Amino acid sequence: MALHLVRWRCGMLKSLLWILLACGVLIAPFIGSVELSLADVLNPEHLSHKIFVELRLPRVLFAFFAGVVLALSGLLYQTLFRNALMTPYTLGISSGAVLGAGIALKLSLGTLLFGVASVTLFGFLGAMFTVLLLVYLSQFLKSSHHESLLLLGIALSLFYTSALMVVFYLGSAIQNDLLIRFTMGSLSIIGWNSPITLGIIAFLLLLLLYLYRFELQLLGMSETQASLKGVHTKRVTLLLLIASSFAIGVLVSMSGPIGFVGLVVPHIVAKIYPSALSHRVLKTALFGGFFLVFCDTLTRGINTQSELPIGIVTAFIGAPFFIYLIIKGKK
Amino acid sequence: MIKLQSLACGFDNHSVLEDITLDIASHLSILGANGSGKSTLARAICGLTGYEGEVSLFGESIQNIAPKTRAKTISYIPAKLDIYDSFITVFEFVLLGRFPYKKSFFEYDAKDKIIAQKTIAFLNIRHLSSHTVASLSSGEQQLVLIAQALAQQSKIIIFDEPTANLDPRNAKIIAEHIKGLKEYHQIILITHDLHLACFVGSPIAFIKEKRVTLYEEGFFEDANLEELYGVAFSSMAVRYA
Repeated sequence: MALHLVRWRCGMLKSLLWILLACGVLIAPFIGSVELSLADVLNPEHLSHKIFVELRLPRVLFAFFAGVVLALSGLLYQTLFRNALMTPYTLGISSGAVLGAGIALKLSLGTLLFGVASVTLFGFLGAMFTVLLLVYLSQFLKSSHHESLLLLGIALSLFYTSALMVVFYLGSAIQNDLLIRFTMGSLSIIGWNSPITLGIIAFLLLLLLYLYRFELQLLGMSETQASLKGVHTKRVTLLLLIASSFAIGVLVSMSGPIGFVGLVVPHIVAKIYPSALSHRVLKTALFGGFFLVFCDTLTRGINTQSELPIGIVTAFIGAPFFIYLIIKGKK
Repeated sequence: MIKLQSLACGFDNHSVLEDITLDIASHLSILGANGSGKSTLARAICGLTGYEGEVSLFGESIQNIAPKTRAKTISYIPAKLDIYDSFITVFEFVLLGRFPYKKSFFEYDAKDKIIAQKTIAFLNIRHLSSHTVASLSSGEQQLVLIAQALAQQSKIIIFDEPTANLDPRNAKIIAEHIKGLKEYHQIILITHDLHLACFVGSPIAFIKEKRVTLYEEGFFEDANLEELYGVAFSSMAVRYA
């Protein structure tokens, strides 16, 4: 077949994929334990209108922005550390947030502390503490040895998991139930505060990564080469790491840990669009958002007594797909 | 113009170079045994490693030069390409050489793209332009690294063992390019490849026991090579024509 025809067909398939994903987001708010019809939703007096505006729509948007933050952070960590396994999840940053949130639940610090939910605040502090600890410890590693950083992250994760076990051990049945739910990850949010906050953060993170896409491209070669091409390597690396960790900290404290999105989405986008990293920032963000909305819609669409935790669905879809990609890539 | 004044450097509490004073006004090839400090010297010249003493480029201390200005002055071509982004094409890779000239936060402009294309054409690798860099052979990758450094249009180019991974045919191609570039750039060549150093024909700086000895001529005499390297040579029998 002529090459241009193959290209045209490939382009059509890709366009179709994006259209399907976008349609999925439009349909997503209508799917759930209560079926909503468009006519009811448009009627302000109807209960469906209230469900749509105060529950479904914020949740879909929250899922979208969460996907954006997770996918962009995955792309950033994988590029900066030149390792396909680097994500906030594998580096222990998510675990740090979970431990923080667990401690807040155990201590029953009440729903509010300085006007912020204590679980959110402690989760955020756990994530930030882990990032700062990693940045501090990485000074003692040789700059080219990013595997050591990954091992540090894994060691931290294991330590946090054990510490969380202690929290479980000391906790009451009710506290432990809340905590288990939190560790499974959930996008059940009510109202507009969380999606608006996360939306602003996701937008700023995307803007930052987009503006620094060529610096990131050079840092993906090596720190030495980036520096020799004129990049302020330390300044840019620290700025990007802190920004993404801030975003992850806020997200995890709101939703609990959601695995696999940060790991898998950048690789999927790279497979669909085998182009330089600078061309993939925006696509990775959008695909991450669409992917998480899709997974979240599944959790609500599958008829169970209560909805499935989102972390389970992303892992069930992400893990086999990732294994497929690795095996296909090796052939 | 590179000026080294009482330069001393090392790593992990281990001294590699001591009290090196050198004015590098023109081309230079740096030779020495493994671990003698050739690459450390190159890294010091680029300001990539800590050192004592003074390193200056065109009269300005390397520590005070902003990264973009430094990139316009000096470029460094590593022995081997190490890249995480396996999808970047040759053209996009060469274009990265224009980074120091690019306006912050903006795309590369038309002039940058033309320069990248011209550089690719100059090195006769236009047919590889849309290939991914990761898919190329070692010889082709070395050419692409050179193309990126040329697009950077720096006055000084440092080659760090450019023929280390190449077969004789590709090594000769690279050697000819390096020799040709002497007309437009100040070339600092770090190598173990005596044929390459001989062919390029620049003065030799030999590093031994943390010190540098300069040779304007006579370096490639058998007796001298034997004394420096500690092995017998037979008239460097094989040389590039």
